[in-house]
Amino acid sequence: MQPAIAQPALLEQFMTAAIEAVATVQVIERSPAALRDAILQQVRAAPRILFAPPQELPASLFSEFAADPRVLANPTPEEMVNSAAGVTEAFAAVASTGSVCIDISFERTGMVSLLAPLEIAVVAAETIVAQPRDLFRPDVLGGRGLQRDFVFVTGPSATADMGPLVRGVHGPHKLHIIVLR
Amino acid sequence: MTSTPNPADITPRQVANKADKQAFLDAIRMTLAVQSPAVRHNTQTFNRNRYAATARLADYDELKDRAREIKRNAIANLPELLRQLEASVRANGGHFYLAKTATDADRYISDVLTRHQAKLVVKGKSITSEETKLNHALEAAGITVAETDLAEFILQVADEQPSHIVAPALHYSRERITALFKRKFTTDLPLDTGEELTVFAREKLRQQFIAADAGISGANFIAADSGSLMLVESEGNIRMTTILPPVHIAIAGIEKVVPSRTDFGTFIELLPRSGTGQPLTSYVSILHPPLKAPPFAAPGKQPKAREFHLVLIDNGRSRMREDSVLQEALRCIRCSACLNSCANFETVGGHAFGGETYSGGIGGSWEAGTGKLLNARFSELCTGCSRCVNNCPVRIDIPWLNEVLRQRTNFEQPSSAAKSMFGAMTGSAGEDRVAPLQKQFFANYHTLARRATRFASFSNAFSRLPFVRGLMESVVGLDRRRKLPPFPNETWEELYRAADWRGTPRADLPNVLMLADVFTNYGSPEPGMAAVRVLREMGFDVELSAPLPDGRAAISQGMIATARKQANALAMLLLPHIENGKTVCVLEPSVLAMLRLDNAHLLDETIWAKFSQGKFVEPLQLVWSANQDLAGIFPANRSPHGKRVFYHSHCQQRTCNAAGETLEVLRACGFDVVTSSVECCGMAGSFGYKRDYYELSMAVGEDLFAQVRAAEHDGPRTLVASGTSCHEQLWAGMGRAVLHPAELLVSALV
Repeated sequence: MQPAIAQPALLEQFMTAAIEAVATVQVIERSPAALRDAILQQVRAAPRILFAPPQELPASLFSEFAADPRVLANPTPEEMVNSAAGVTEAFAAVASTGSVCIDISFERTGMVSLLAPLEIAVVAAETIVAQPRDLFRPDVLGGRGLQRDFVFVTGPSATADMGPLVRGVHGPHKLHIIVLR
Repeated sequence: MTSTPNPADITPRQVANKADKQAFLDAIRMTLAVQSPAVRHNTQTFNRNRYAATARLADYDELKDRAREIKRNAIANLPELLRQLEASVRANGGHFYLAKTATDADRYISDVLTRHQAKLVVKGKSITSEETKLNHALEAAGITVAETDLAEFILQVADEQPSHIVAPALHYSRERITALFKRKFTTDLPLDTGEELTVFAREKLRQQFIAADAGISGANFIAADSGSLMLVESEGNIRMTTILPPVHIAIAGIEKVVPSRTDFGTFIELLPRSGTGQPLTSYVSILHPPLKAPPFAAPGKQPKAREFHLVLIDNGRSRMREDSVLQEALRCIRCSACLNSCANFETVGGHAFGGETYSGGIGGSWEAGTGKLLNARFSELCTGCSRCVNNCPVRIDIPWLNEVLRQRTNFEQPSSAAKSMFGAMTGSAGEDRVAPLQKQFFANYHTLARRATRFASFSNAFSRLPFVRGLMESVVGLDRRRKLPPFPNETWEELYRAADWRGTPRADLPNVLMLADVFTNYGSPEPGMAAVRVLREMGFDVELSAPLPDGRAAISQGMIATARKQANALAMLLLPHIENGKTVCVLEPSVLAMLRLDNAHLLDETIWAKFSQGKFVEPLQLVWSANQDLAGIFPANRSPHGKRVFYHSHCQQRTCNAAGETLEVLRACGFDVVTSSVECCGMAGSFGYKRDYYELSMAVGEDLFAQVRAAEHDGPRTLVASGTSCHEQLWAGMGRAVLHPAELLVSALV
């Protein structure tokens, strides 16, 4: 087993790896206002924002953001495929790879985190684990990684099939991660 | 000469099936002419990235051990795991189908889709579905199949087979994709950059994801305990395929099953790093379908409940499981490390070094296992250089699999009086005398060389005669463009006995038995003499063994019985010395690898148990281990060759972890050393001498020659190499003498 690493060191390692994977990362204070400001700063003038309500973090944390009129509570199929950004929580993050883990067992979370060009993932700092393998241990994060349907998301979608490396293929073109202190 | 088509006119499909020898040779010409630059660039990028990514895993070796053990267990308990998996999938609410053949799998999938009245299916990358030729079956049933992985999309547009297990279209450069798309599509887009091509394909495919009636994916791993799938990708098309449509069908080989979802923890660390060299790819999905969240409700379509089918195919795998050698291949996790670390593959890719579905070092076993032995003919391109061995995350001894395939192919040849007689004269074991003349010729190199050196000046003059070269080319396929290194007038053994050795052995240094390997003994005794001299100067007590073949030349021709005979005889010679605590020093790295690694397959079990306790080292390892003042004994500035050196270590030397010391020694002496970074020089024993592979061998060598030229931008360097074949290849490519590191040291002796 890997030695336990202190959480601040994990956060630092996570940020370095996520940036290496071409995601953007910011760490904010855990409050509804700070979260709203952080998300809205990313989406700017986007007319439509997809949002999948959280299962782990308290819903109240997202209340100020969800009140923005551009956030679609019940998007139509057309809106699902024509929105500028998708906001979800991530139930875990991985320090060595800079990945966020998105639970897609729930309503729409899979599509919200996939269909829009900008993906915004909100993750609590204490859920950062050291390595991908930790998600497959029953004693880490209550064994969620062994029970749920989820995706390790590491940076934006990418391909090298067309010659040079291109970011932004079928999935999001940009990944922004908001870490809650 | 028969008229051969222009290589640029050969299509990959025409040469996909290598059961036809001409198709195989045409495929080599075509890939060298058309695909080589893109294949080189892409595989070598993966290769570099893999070395960097695995170096960052603190417990890489332990992970490989664990991965191998998980797969070993899984294959051993496969019938039980399949029963457990079926129960898990059904408990999750999915359907499970075990297809005996490719046709069964295709029919089942076609039936499911027909029942749903599916018109359009989106497909994530699945090489297994290439094996079953699923697209043809579905199209015959009137279903449109949209390949959504951009590489598979290119292949579908071009109607070509995959050339690589992870990046199936890596033989396409951006320029060739542009040309292909402009030919096949009408569009106003310029399509002149990777971005534009991606946008074009994305928009086309986005419509299809939304409209699709069903999605078909593969699976990288499947957990029996929970019916979970692990799906590795970067484009997001597999997420689309598994999340959006109401029907999800996953197709995979039965060997993808592992006992538990907890096992994913090992493979998620190893697979992406071993493949593209990324810590993780953009997306790794962990699903136990059917998903609970509802599918995408396309505008104007009835909402449907989700349905999931897991289709596992056997198609020869159970037979592979019963085969004591091919069962190793079932452990393969299809990461492509063996493709990317292979110099031949890097140069031609999977359209030459591959069959209709599978390619590269491991591909021969898969084509033979799921098809016919002759389809694996391309595995002749495995030179046994062994660079893949340490890079395989499940530690499959891939060269050994290819040597066994070669043996089986030899055994399928008709016997003939000429082959039997030639074999008896040159020393083939009885059962190997069915092998083609060329194979027996190269396998018994030492017998021929022993005779040739007796009359060296005659042999050298004789073998230079044009009609003799012509005869050698037509009878044993020895390419006449290769200059033959001259046979020496005296063997290493003779020179050694005649020499007057000075120096008093030092008690603190190990006693050394220098193996008179047949390549050095009959081919190039000078490096051997230099190595003995260097070690004696340093105070080692060195004795030279009798020259005995080691089995390397025979095993490389698939003449395993002959190799076994030679390896056991050599072991008998060496064992008493090993038991006396002597260190066995081996000059030729391919022989060092033989003693350390290959003998595990060749020696009788009880002999191997004792033999593997022996210490087998390369001479420069001994020099370094003596911990002496090297700059005082071999000061570089005394060498008439100058201080500037280009050093190329041997492929098997690196696999044996026996190359680093040479560099340390040369630098400690004060040499200014630039090293090569190629996996193999391309000569690889007899490979580069064969007429069929001469062009390929030289194309592989070109990477090495280019590195020499780059290192000499500011002035010439002395060429130094550790392996006999590397000497010959560098000599051919650069047209000048090449020294062994020991010769360089002798030149600097005070």
